[in-house]
Amino acid sequence: MTAIVVGASSGLGRALSVELARNGHPLLLIASDARDLDALGSDLRLRFKAEVGILALDLAANADPGARVLEALAELPPPSALLLPLGMSRSDDDGSLAVGAIGQLLAINLHAPLAISHALLPSLLETHGSIVGFGSIAGARGRSRNIVYATAKRGLETFFESLRHRHLPSALRVQFYRLGFLRSNLTFGMKLALPAAEPEDVARKVVKALRRDSFDHYEPRWWGMIALIIRCLPWFAFRRMKD
Amino acid sequence: MSLRRGFALAETELRSFDRSVAARCHVQQPDRYRLIEALPTDVPRISRGGGISYVGASFASGGVTQDVSAFDRILAFDGERGLLKVEAGAPIGEVMRFALAQGWMLPVAPGHPRASVGGCIAADVHGKNPARDGTFRRHVEAIELFDPVAGWLSLDRTQNAQRFAACFAGFGIPGLIASATLRLVPSAVAYSLRSIAVSGLVEAREVLLAHAGAPLLYGWHDGRSGRFGRGVIRYGLESKEPTIRSKYLTPDLPAMIKPWPLCAWNRIGIAAMNRLIRHRYGPGQSHLTTEAAMFPLNDARAYYAGFGAEGFIEAQWLLTHQRYADFVASLEAETIRLRPCISLIASKLFDGKAEGFGFDGNGISLAIQIPQPRIKTQATFLESLTELALIHGGRPNLIKDSSLTGASAKRGIVDFDSVRDDLRGFDPNQLQQSELTRRLGL
Repeated sequence: MTAIVVGASSGLGRALSVELARNGHPLLLIASDARDLDALGSDLRLRFKAEVGILALDLAANADPGARVLEALAELPPPSALLLPLGMSRSDDDGSLAVGAIGQLLAINLHAPLAISHALLPSLLETHGSIVGFGSIAGARGRSRNIVYATAKRGLETFFESLRHRHLPSALRVQFYRLGFLRSNLTFGMKLALPAAEPEDVARKVVKALRRDSFDHYEPRWWGMIALIIRCLPWFAFRRMKD
Repeated sequence: MSLRRGFALAETELRSFDRSVAARCHVQQPDRYRLIEALPTDVPRISRGGGISYVGASFASGGVTQDVSAFDRILAFDGERGLLKVEAGAPIGEVMRFALAQGWMLPVAPGHPRASVGGCIAADVHGKNPARDGTFRRHVEAIELFDPVAGWLSLDRTQNAQRFAACFAGFGIPGLIASATLRLVPSAVAYSLRSIAVSGLVEAREVLLAHAGAPLLYGWHDGRSGRFGRGVIRYGLESKEPTIRSKYLTPDLPAMIKPWPLCAWNRIGIAAMNRLIRHRYGPGQSHLTTEAAMFPLNDARAYYAGFGAEGFIEAQWLLTHQRYADFVASLEAETIRLRPCISLIASKLFDGKAEGFGFDGNGISLAIQIPQPRIKTQATFLESLTELALIHGGRPNLIKDSSLTGASAKRGIVDFDSVRDDLRGFDPNQLQQSELTRRLGL
């Protein structure tokens, strides 16, 4: 049955697409640029003989992305997994963004995952499928950087908690990963205080866990301890943290 | 790091494979097509694939190094005609593995499996028998290229034909190579490799000529004075017997090999290594998988690490048959006079036509690897070698020798100025720059 990857063209999304194809899943790949999707789709078809559909979709400009996804799924087997490794951040997200930029960040990081999830929920419930979300360590506590991005990621976390509350794992597996630093274009060139995980390693774990029950944890796991420390920091100390 | 979204830059030190060239560079790592386009059109840049150039052809200080290694996907395969379209960042080893699994192969591949397809085009590399298979250009049907000003261009032998030809040994100047369509040939099951002992480099030429049609053909020679040129010519023929693949596959040679703390290739080390190689390449025949035959450097990790942090220089010259014997005699006399440390001499037969800055022609090529190139004796020998090769009408391989000056390159390539002007005609704003193009004044 089909796995849908939203944000498939780079970073974790691309690694998940490769791993799912390697494991024999038919795929629907979604990203904004058809050129990237064409290249990735061809590669997965040729290397892994995978059945791959593609959908080029500008999530920031589309009010109802779920409807487009359902249309694209018509040609493929029923969906069994929806993976949402999409995300967009900006280095100027420090409280000075114009309203259009705020809308774009919220559309990609929050509205699109919610809209697509809502559209696919009936099919996923029918197939007892999985829905997999990806949050960020940035959502652990609000800071003066990544303000809108972290807000959206915290919102996404709440959405997945609600889904888990609503559906028993026997009906729908709801899995949520809070990611630490990941080696991708979002972190490229940054001097990171802690090591970044390889997207391919995370993708292997995510695909392996697809048939497990619902859960919510940090990946890599040791980021849970970092998040706990950050949350426990008294306000006067947390205020001084810049990175 | 840049504040602008779309082309985040990392500042890092990049080094050539021979460790002779290093520069602090701003690196962009695009993984989507729009990120290739995101770099402002007036920014000097150079593209980087596997990052294994011997001469700093894929990086430069003061500009942006566009690392296209994420563009490594297979785009199309025509199993009827043997046509394979791949993105330019795809490592040649991966491309070969895919092709072999479909019953096809690429007849020309450099020894290092991490060389990218784009790098093989930009350097117009040769393979295991250039006299039989030519250079990489012979096996490329089409190229997709990104020019910062003109945008995306499709090139082949009929459409944008001049620019297509200029991409081979164009060192990235005609633009960023994004993808290429390669013409494959039916693959061999395996190769049967035989060795013929030779007493010197002149005899090596005779043996190379006698086996010109073999799919694999190259020589290894001792570079020590007193034993100068002694070695073996190895030739490989297609074998119908499948080889038993070892349970332990040799991993691909890394792009950058961690050097040993000290250079092992001093006189004692070279003597020991030559003894070992002579034993290994002794009489008899061995069977190799096609993959192992194509990428012999996978077994040479310790050899490259042994050069230590100072690295090495590889000078490669192509001598015409007429001048070859004289050149060899002069070179031998020079090794007796200067007693340099030469870790390896490799010989190959060429039977093509020199085009542009490409390393091709009709004659014998000698690749000479020199450890510790900064030591005075070694540096003096390198200068003498260059001068001797130029006196004897030798053609230098610009993509191998990081000690070569622009003046020597001009002497070695007769139409140097016109080739450079033609290349820069595709890049009038001099946007494509690398440490190599700057050193040679391209």
